[in-house]
Amino acid sequence: MLASFDVIEVLLALCLTGSAFVCLFDRHLVRASCFFFVFAGAMVLAWLKLGAPWLAASELLLGVLLTGLCFFYALGLLSPGASAPLKHDKFSHPWSRVAMRVVLALAWFVMVGAAIRYVIGDMMYSPAEHPLLLAGVLIAALALAAFALHRHLFRRLLAFNLLGSGVFILLAGVAGTSAAAQMLISVGLLVACLGTMLGALLIRQLLHLEGVEALGRDGKPQRSKA
Amino acid sequence: MTWRFGLFDSTFAPLVSTHWALLVALVFPLLMGGLAALFPPKRAWPVVLASVPLLASGGVLLIAFQEAGLLGWQWEIAGLILSLRLNGLSVLLLLTTQCIVVAAALYTPGHFRLTEPGPLARWLWPLMGVALSALSLIWLATDLLTLYIALELMGLAAVGMLMLSGKAPALLAGMRYLLLALVGSLTYLLGVALILGQWGRLDLQGLAEVIEPGPVAWFAAALIGAGLALKAALFPLHAWLTPVHENAWTPVSALHAGLVIKASMFMLLQLWSILLPDTFYAPRIIAWLGLLAIVWGGLLAWRTDSLKTLVASSTVAQLGYLMVAFPLLLGPDIAPLPRALAWEGFWLQLVGHAFAKAAMFMAAGNLILATGEHTLKGLAGTSRRLPLSLLVFGIASITLMGLPPSSGFTAKWMLLEAMIITQQWWAVAALLTGTLLTAAYVFRMFRYSFDETAPRHRYQPLAPGMDLIAMLLALTAFALGLLAHFPLELMHGGSP
Repeated sequence: MLASFDVIEVLLALCLTGSAFVCLFDRHLVRASCFFFVFAGAMVLAWLKLGAPWLAASELLLGVLLTGLCFFYALGLLSPGASAPLKHDKFSHPWSRVAMRVVLALAWFVMVGAAIRYVIGDMMYSPAEHPLLLAGVLIAALALAAFALHRHLFRRLLAFNLLGSGVFILLAGVAGTSAAAQMLISVGLLVACLGTMLGALLIRQLLHLEGVEALGRDGKPQRSKA
Repeated sequence: MTWRFGLFDSTFAPLVSTHWALLVALVFPLLMGGLAALFPPKRAWPVVLASVPLLASGGVLLIAFQEAGLLGWQWEIAGLILSLRLNGLSVLLLLTTQCIVVAAALYTPGHFRLTEPGPLARWLWPLMGVALSALSLIWLATDLLTLYIALELMGLAAVGMLMLSGKAPALLAGMRYLLLALVGSLTYLLGVALILGQWGRLDLQGLAEVIEPGPVAWFAAALIGAGLALKAALFPLHAWLTPVHENAWTPVSALHAGLVIKASMFMLLQLWSILLPDTFYAPRIIAWLGLLAIVWGGLLAWRTDSLKTLVASSTVAQLGYLMVAFPLLLGPDIAPLPRALAWEGFWLQLVGHAFAKAAMFMAAGNLILATGEHTLKGLAGTSRRLPLSLLVFGIASITLMGLPPSSGFTAKWMLLEAMIITQQWWAVAALLTGTLLTAAYVFRMFRYSFDETAPRHRYQPLAPGMDLIAMLLALTAFALGLLAHFPLELMHGGSP
């Protein structure tokens, strides 16, 4: 079965999955952001490969340029005078939490995979022929696991972006690249980009007001005040 | 069920004046929002001027609907068909939205003058405009793409508004809300992808004809339902709601609790009535969760020490009433009478709650602003010094408790009647428990405010009109019960 795969597509799928993995699970935040660039670049090629040049263009503009810049802005690398650039995620997780989240993500992975395998009989791109789709399912599952696992707000924002990309690949696989599907994906890209901008502004402001510790409290206000 | 949402062909084409009214209703808020960002209004009168054309557009659409029945618009852009429809329910929700947003906008200048909101305050206006346009679009849209765009615009505008106060807790709560809302929207998108892949179209009217029950419809309904439930703060996914309201500005809270979460609820019912018209279990699961929401939200509101948490938790409980009505609206073998009763009760409860909750948030905001205290204990002595704010709070809570003759009473009466006809006794029990719990937390709040032994402290005088606007909203919620025939007629109108 492997012989029928397109070599370029296999390479793209591997590149997407690999860069997504590093981006999601590297505690060094600058490196993770750099790998986000790699990932988004691979996404552009993937859209070209799937025959959607307009999506590739909007991914290049919204995904690579704007969203990537947002991440660097949130890290404090764009404005030299900014307070305390973010470097590492130092928050630790208890083991019970890790186990819970991994089980959750696995369940999601199995559910989405089963849904796509059994529910949609005649998909536009069958997953047996297109490794990009398999990469999409895998990326979505990994990103959801990372989203649930991490407490650092910056990493959750990264995970949300990768989750979005995984879902968009799935969408293209399930519904093809018709006008309606391309439109849905473009709107999704725009929303993800706007959301990331808002998130980057929030992270910067929080750092300015409360320091790094504020980013790891899982959205809960400070305990000492209560 | 789908005809109730106006998903059928209209008899008449809309008139030219109706086109203009639609354009004003959808685009004018954006323009005014942009203008107000450039020149922030210091007084209420520019807001009054700006709201006249807006309310007029709502009125024209109402008259157009009453004359011609259902109206539809359709555009084709790059091979995509985008469509809008105006039925009685859309008119009712559109008018509700415009009234509440205008009230919140009128309230804002006074609020800003008293609180010194900081440099970000001017951005509230464009965000409010975007939220109003997006909400109006949600009530009118009939294809999944337009609904998605409107939902996301509304969600992002809401997040933006909630974090404008710029304090660290508000930012943290806003960030959490942002991430959850974005993940919710991806879940929704995955559901839409399944629909598009299986049936190849996005317009609701066409989908209602071709969708057959089966695993695809169930999966899509589950994904869309999960995404929208997250955004609507339905029971197990409600935890983000309270911290968000705890730290937001008063007019923003009023808008958010009154309208924004209702829009997700509206979409959930509309899409499920297409995807799951005859499923037995899904609406029942929602109803059981609604039962838990009523009890849990009521208990949270009863035990809390903070006034804003009380009002926000009560939203969780009140959404429970709407969830409990799901098995009466969706499902096999529901007799026409209980279904019609539940339909009327559902929307009357939603509209009445929107007005009452907006009024209640404004009253709570007034009390907090005047006393400078966020806790219930800080309310001691307000009965003598701030009787008007307390009165507004009281009138709004009459609607929430469902005492006659408020709209809450009429709505609950209809829901109860439908539940008794279909013999769903546990739902009746839920409704009655909810009423008792609401009474418990409202009277607890009043007990503190009538405490006369408190040390006297200084009260900040309120701007004129702040109590008046809240009072008007509360009275509207109250009067919708007495004059219920007007909204009910609208909900019936436009049947084929």
